[in-house]
Amino acid sequence: MERKIIHLDLDAFFCSVEELLDPTLKGKAFAVGGSPSGRGVITSASYAARLHGVRSAMPTREALHLLPDLILVRSGFRHYSEYSKKVMDILRDTSPIVEAVSIDEAFLDVSDMPQPIGSIALDLQKRVMDETGLPCSLGCATSRLVAKMANDFGKKQVKSGRSPQKITVVEPGKEEEFLAPLDIQALWGVGPKTAAHLRQRGITTIGRLAALSDADIRIFFGKHGESMRRRARGIDHTPIYPESSDPKSVSNEITFHEDQDDEGNLLKILRGLSEKVGSRLRKAELAGSVVQIKIRYSDFSTYTRQTSIKECTNLDQNIYEEAQNLFLKHWSRGRAVRLLGVGVTNLDKPHRQLGLFDDDGAKKEDLTKAVDDLRDRFGKDIIKRADTLKGKNR
Amino acid sequence: MKVTVQQQQLAHGVNIVSRAVTSRSSLAVLSNILLKTDNGRLRLSATNLELGISAWIGAKVQEEGGLTVPGRTFVDMVSNLPNEEVTLTVDDRTQTLNVKCGTLNTDIKGISAEEFPPMPSPDLDNAIALNIENFKEQIQQVVFAASTDDSRPSLMGVHMTFDGNTLEMAATDGYRISIAKSEMAQKVPQNFEALVPARALAELSRIAVNGDESVYMTFPQGRGQVIFHMNDAELVSQLIEGSFPNYGAIIPPSFKTRTVLSTAQLLKACKQTEIIAREGSYIAKLDIQPEVDGEQSSLLEISARSEQTGSSEVMVDASVDGVPLLISFNIRYLREALEVIKTPTVSLETNAVHTPGMLRPVGDDHFSHIIMPINTAR
Repeated sequence: MERKIIHLDLDAFFCSVEELLDPTLKGKAFAVGGSPSGRGVITSASYAARLHGVRSAMPTREALHLLPDLILVRSGFRHYSEYSKKVMDILRDTSPIVEAVSIDEAFLDVSDMPQPIGSIALDLQKRVMDETGLPCSLGCATSRLVAKMANDFGKKQVKSGRSPQKITVVEPGKEEEFLAPLDIQALWGVGPKTAAHLRQRGITTIGRLAALSDADIRIFFGKHGESMRRRARGIDHTPIYPESSDPKSVSNEITFHEDQDDEGNLLKILRGLSEKVGSRLRKAELAGSVVQIKIRYSDFSTYTRQTSIKECTNLDQNIYEEAQNLFLKHWSRGRAVRLLGVGVTNLDKPHRQLGLFDDDGAKKEDLTKAVDDLRDRFGKDIIKRADTLKGKNR
Repeated sequence: MKVTVQQQQLAHGVNIVSRAVTSRSSLAVLSNILLKTDNGRLRLSATNLELGISAWIGAKVQEEGGLTVPGRTFVDMVSNLPNEEVTLTVDDRTQTLNVKCGTLNTDIKGISAEEFPPMPSPDLDNAIALNIENFKEQIQQVVFAASTDDSRPSLMGVHMTFDGNTLEMAATDGYRISIAKSEMAQKVPQNFEALVPARALAELSRIAVNGDESVYMTFPQGRGQVIFHMNDAELVSQLIEGSFPNYGAIIPPSFKTRTVLSTAQLLKACKQTEIIAREGSYIAKLDIQPEVDGEQSSLLEISARSEQTGSSEVMVDASVDGVPLLISFNIRYLREALEVIKTPTVSLETNAVHTPGMLRPVGDDHFSHIIMPINTAR
């Protein structure tokens, strides 16, 4: 059966949310991103800012150099995830087969719906706008590969300085024809290095790639040659995986503005990360029995280490104790750290073997619950461990 | 030293003491087994300073003396000898043990017997005599519940209370506690308590030979040790310092529900459930259902669920007296306790989801086992 696959992408998602929160931003050149000091980067740029060359992942410092009037905003991830959830709920209401690939991007399989795919896409776009106020663009095709490429292609055609809100449909049977003129690097699996090699041989478009001989395609892609050719012809049978609602792991990491080498500071940060992970686990009503840490040094060498604990936990203190032990055991003392992460995996429903003689565990649980309640009502900074406070506040 | 012994006896003695040999130690002599003539017998000893074991075997002693030899080498060597006479000769000058058996002639390099830590000798006049068979059973009823967690040393012991002519033993890992009582043939002159490493008692129950003979227990003055003496073997252990929890306080005075079951059926149900539950932290749910008039007879339903393996449910006929309850336990704890209960029926007494449950053999008040539930509700 011919499939009907839609790729939906929210237009400049973070910026669109910021505009909803502060309507005076509408139409202005602004961006969501980190501070210009240190390593801040642009997460998302408004379409007006994009006209000036500001792009996501660009260092904020560089963006301000291009456009000194650029307005920087950052309302916080909480707002973005709230809006994202609203959109995903609309999609799941439309079709049960929805795969959210990121906070602002999803695939839908609507093969079972009788309407033409283009009108399903139009209804979705309207519903998302009516119910959330967010603009989005959609690509429609018979496979996820072509739907995604169609959407990327369609959005690029709009250069108005406003959100594209584009719907691009590739009719069944026209996949190869649609892909043929596109640049080879637009194809999944073709990285910059491979693209450079191909271009040297005059293979600049996907159409030329699809026409390569068996022997030639193997020179560039080895054993993946055949699957690359299928892709270049727009043949892709990858199903849409409705994500399971149970996460496999919960983790949190932070990249520092400046590399950190002070043990005390790093441990404080580790505690903060452990608390975030614990809080997320408790919200999801989960607990895990493996605690892991991630350390990335200045030279980008990255180490992940983990330890198993006897009982599943979702308590900050337990997670932190394991993370701290791992950190002190594996950190090359004094070596500057660029990124630190804490995670808990091997998730299960929380349960705790009660003890005969101590009520220590029960007290910890009660304390954690009280802290969570306070944070839910008054924000996460309402209560903190004394040792995470900065010197002057103590 | 020059002695002749039977290979079978030598292998038996070496097997008994080898469990106290230290595999990694900064003190080389602790990796060795001591061989020494002793009143017409050959004494074999090993110690890791916590636990020391000696065994005596019959020998034709031609020349007194002794030597220590590397434990592993000697164990492997002896177990591979033919079942014949073995002649052991020590060359004091080279500190070498010569082993002759059949056509085999081996020299093993050793360390002087002088360097082996002295083993205390028991004062048998003031020893407490215990019936070996009863004592072994009592040990087996409690040792499995002791903790193996080094960070809680006092829970790695078995608490022994001598009170008149009763001996009460208790072991706990903090989540369950096993308590076993027995009557001794004689009263102790003075009541007292001791905390003996569970490992030492487990070894004792392994080496003690059943029969009508006794094991003699002594506590050498001021040494913090206990010695168990038998005819052909002796075990010395350090006592554990530190206090054992006051477990009398945690035994619930009454229960709301008493469930009586066939021990064999319940054990079987636990084993079946454990196959699934072991993949999910050993959690099993026990649904205790009293009889509903005219509708349903009383029963116990045990279930387990694991994300990876699947799920399992099993019903066990039960006579339930009291209120219904859905409670979760570590199924391994239940199984291990049931395995040491010998009576045909067993009672499980409970109060509520977060209070302890108690297993007792029906018609035998010498044993009780208390298990804390798992808190699954949030």
